[in-house]
Amino acid sequence: MSILFDIAITAFLIISGVFGLVGSYGLIKLPDPMSRLHAPTKATTLGVGGVLIASMLHAIAVEGQVSLHELLITLFLLITAPITANFIAKAHLHRHVERDQLPDAAPDDCWAVHDIEPFQAGAEPSTETTK
Amino acid sequence: MSLFLIAALPFLGALLPGLLIRAGRDACAIVTGSVTLLALIGLGVNAPAVLRGEIVTARIDWIPGLGLNANFFLDGLGLLFAGMILGIGLLVIIYARYYLSRNDAMGRFYTFLLLFQGAMVGIVLSDNVLMLLVFWELTSLSSFLLIGYWNHLPEGRQGARMALAVTGAGGLALIGGMLMLGNIVGSYDLSVILESKDVIQSSPLYLPALILILLGCFTKSAQFPFHFWLPHAMAAPTPVSAYLHSATMVKAGLFLMARMWPVLSGTEAWFYIVATTGLITMVVGAVIALFKDDLKGLLAFSTVSHLGLITMLLGFGTPIAAVAAVFHIINHATFKAALFMTAGIIDHGAHTRDIKRLGGLRTLMPVTFVIATVASLSMAGIPPLNGFLSKEMMLEEAAHTVWAGSHWLLPVLACLGALFSAAYSFRYISHVFLGPKREDYPATPHDPGIGMWIAPGLLVVLAILIGLFPKTIVGTLVAIASGSVIGGDLPYYSLKLWHGVNPALIMSGIAVAGGLVLLWLHGSLDKLWNALPRPEAKRIFDIVISGLTTLARFFTERTHNGSFARYAAIFFVFVFGLGYYAYQSGTMVAADRTMLDASPVAIAGWVCLIVSTLCVVTFHRNRLLALVLIGVTGLIVSMSFNYLSAPDLALTQISVEAVTIILLLLALNLMPKETPVELRSGRKLRDAVLSIGGGLGVGALIYAMMMRDLVQPSISEFHIANSYSGGGGTNVVNVILVDFRGFDTFGEIIVLGIAAIVIYALTESILSTGIRGQLLNRKPDFPIAGDAHPMMMVVATRVMMPIALMVAAYIFFRGHNLPGGGFIAGLIAAIALIMQYMASGFSWASARQRFPYHGIIGAGVLVAALTGMGAWLNEMPFLTSAFSYVYLPGLHKFELATAALFDLGVFLAVFGAVLLALESLSRYAWQPDDATEHAMDINPARDTAVVEEGK
Repeated sequence: MSILFDIAITAFLIISGVFGLVGSYGLIKLPDPMSRLHAPTKATTLGVGGVLIASMLHAIAVEGQVSLHELLITLFLLITAPITANFIAKAHLHRHVERDQLPDAAPDDCWAVHDIEPFQAGAEPSTETTK
Repeated sequence: MSLFLIAALPFLGALLPGLLIRAGRDACAIVTGSVTLLALIGLGVNAPAVLRGEIVTARIDWIPGLGLNANFFLDGLGLLFAGMILGIGLLVIIYARYYLSRNDAMGRFYTFLLLFQGAMVGIVLSDNVLMLLVFWELTSLSSFLLIGYWNHLPEGRQGARMALAVTGAGGLALIGGMLMLGNIVGSYDLSVILESKDVIQSSPLYLPALILILLGCFTKSAQFPFHFWLPHAMAAPTPVSAYLHSATMVKAGLFLMARMWPVLSGTEAWFYIVATTGLITMVVGAVIALFKDDLKGLLAFSTVSHLGLITMLLGFGTPIAAVAAVFHIINHATFKAALFMTAGIIDHGAHTRDIKRLGGLRTLMPVTFVIATVASLSMAGIPPLNGFLSKEMMLEEAAHTVWAGSHWLLPVLACLGALFSAAYSFRYISHVFLGPKREDYPATPHDPGIGMWIAPGLLVVLAILIGLFPKTIVGTLVAIASGSVIGGDLPYYSLKLWHGVNPALIMSGIAVAGGLVLLWLHGSLDKLWNALPRPEAKRIFDIVISGLTTLARFFTERTHNGSFARYAAIFFVFVFGLGYYAYQSGTMVAADRTMLDASPVAIAGWVCLIVSTLCVVTFHRNRLLALVLIGVTGLIVSMSFNYLSAPDLALTQISVEAVTIILLLLALNLMPKETPVELRSGRKLRDAVLSIGGGLGVGALIYAMMMRDLVQPSISEFHIANSYSGGGGTNVVNVILVDFRGFDTFGEIIVLGIAAIVIYALTESILSTGIRGQLLNRKPDFPIAGDAHPMMMVVATRVMMPIALMVAAYIFFRGHNLPGGGFIAGLIAAIALIMQYMASGFSWASARQRFPYHGIIGAGVLVAALTGMGAWLNEMPFLTSAFSYVYLPGLHKFELATAALFDLGVFLAVFGAVLLALESLSRYAWQPDDATEHAMDINPARDTAVVEEGK
């Protein structure tokens, strides 16, 4: 029985290591911010997730108790990671991508980031915005 | 009545006039008068004992470690002064009721007056020189408020500032002198000091202490050359002049000289300093008074002159002169207060105080005429009025006092002073009341109602009665008051009108006759006087003050010019100096600890820390990037706390870090995103040297400390040993915070709350200026992004809020035994709310915030204070904690400790302070179109609803 646990723990650790490495490598290798956003998501979800599962298994097998802290960590990770990614993407679109370079954002007339620009000099009032 | 109550009554009563003015001016005056009357009755209750020769005392050891005890005692001198302060105070209150016009804020006036009264009573009753100093400063402050009462007049403000500068400077000297005196004797209790004459006079510190104390007395009592502030203080309303500048405050200096007379007088230094100053002041004041055209100016200089007279008598150092001084203090207070009040009445009736524009008032204002004439004649020293008696005693003493071997100098000058004194007194009568009626008064002069003349009337009746029956009326009072000044047996003296033809009577006759001649010659003398060049005291004072201001500004602008880099540089250099001094002068034991091996984790953290710090240096011009890098540093620091087994610190650090970064981001929102380029290489070099030196210095210090055992055993051992048994908790850090050092924590949460409220107040005041408009119209340096409140963030923060609050509660409750506590919990709860502000915007979130953060801070401090006070119910000192263990069915055994309640106070204060600060900062960026009823900008559900409605 314990050998099975050992194998499982090892496997999860290796999976997490591999995804951590892949995520980090992708962060360097991928060409532009939008693509690069994908890489660390692998590291946070699968990479850290693997370690957490391994940790839970380890607690059951070696310490003989159920540890649920890891579930909480997973929860926090799963909540925060998409929001971070969302904000990075929004910041990128706002700072570095011109409005006309973006594809159509149907059915709205533009992307949310460029939606309201009350302070931008010369911005035309977007009459068709459905709000 | 206890002396504490007598001294405290005016202070407590000072709260009433401001409240009762709403019930009308009469109610306000009546309540003020009642407070004073009550204190006066309290004094009267104690009077019989004092008149029997006993000394009434009341003692509380306040801060015995500092020698500061709240001790009061009432002896003859104290009774005399306290009686004068309260008695004349009562008359002034009545007079002021009718003097102040409807436009004057009467409540404020009476409040200041009572504050002043309390301070004066405190001075004369104090049995501890430190207490006395506190009250002394209070009189300076409250008289500043009173002199500047008409703060719409420039003279009022300038006069008040001048009085404060002069008496305040004297007060500083007095503090020095009194501390020296206390140091010589070894006690700050007056009753002890007064019995140590020999010790004091043989000490090498006697002369410096004497000079410093006399500086305090002379400035307060307007002695030459500090006399100039008193005439300028006449810008005050007349009741203030009558009260402060005739009867009470200026007599505080005399009081102190009289109080210290037993131990300080009798030496050559005392005689030459005090008697000479008094003599010069008396003559100079009298001469100037004769040529003053302003009624109050004349009275002010005459007050200066009479104060000089009393000072001179005290300076003689003989017991009989001291008796004369005490007697003249009483007499001067009666006639001078009356005279000031008549000056106010004339001002009130004729709308001018200029003698040149007055004259012939005797038929127009008969009552005032009678009062003013009697008081003036008393001031001139005409029998049978009280002024005559004490002036005779003064001249008698002057007649046989030898000054520097000269037998005639003192008598002649004293006689000259008396002569001018008689002259200006006669002038007050003849140039104001006698002579032909004029047609050109600014207003029709008329006698006021009884309310205004009753007070001076009573005082002149007193002046006549004392003159006629001195022994019956004031004999005992003079005897016991002089007894406490002299501190021994009274000399033989007799208070009576006729002593036979003696030198004093002859000098008096010369003075009166000369005074009449001077009055006759006044017209031509006045021309001569105005033609002579004279030093103008105000101009000299202004030059000195502006010189000091320039010096202060020079110094301030060099050190405190608003550049944080400069402050840091000054601070660093200073600390370097201190550190170098400590290194040079101290000894250091050899390093006896061995270095631990560095684990890979520690090295990794160290590398991260170094790299992030270097990156901050490199990229510091980009503020946002620098902030992120500082955040990295903070996180590594908190991880290293954790690594080094300090989980409490780690938790605190990480939550403080989060809050700080948000706070800085808020500030960055309004600041340029890049710092300006430093061009001056000299400054760069300076900063580099200082920062590298500082870093290396701190590093070396820490290294040196950690390689050695502490020289003295650390207090940590005690804390660890007693944490559970004494404080009922196993988390030593928390037990230290809420129990061992609970009082510190209590102070800290108050400071934190004050800091947050100051941030709020600054924001309020800044946003009420033109800056608000600039902020509203500012052009952001980047275009603002749309969708500022994205749905994902809003939903996630809503989901997280209960979880975060639960974590805060968990951290709070386990704090006593495991890492956590009120401080960290407060920060976490604050972050839970800040998330809502960030997600849905300031306007949206604050519209849903029901409890004002000020109230939360206040509640926190109150909860902590009440918990601390709860210990009193157990007859234990403030903040003593109690704990016990409770068993409830179905639950584990758990602990109930008062410390947890205290921690709740900490929690609330921290929570409120953080959010108030952040809320204040957020308000700078507020824009009118921010307000929205929607939690998020884009909500598909809302869109469909609108579309469906449209259909």
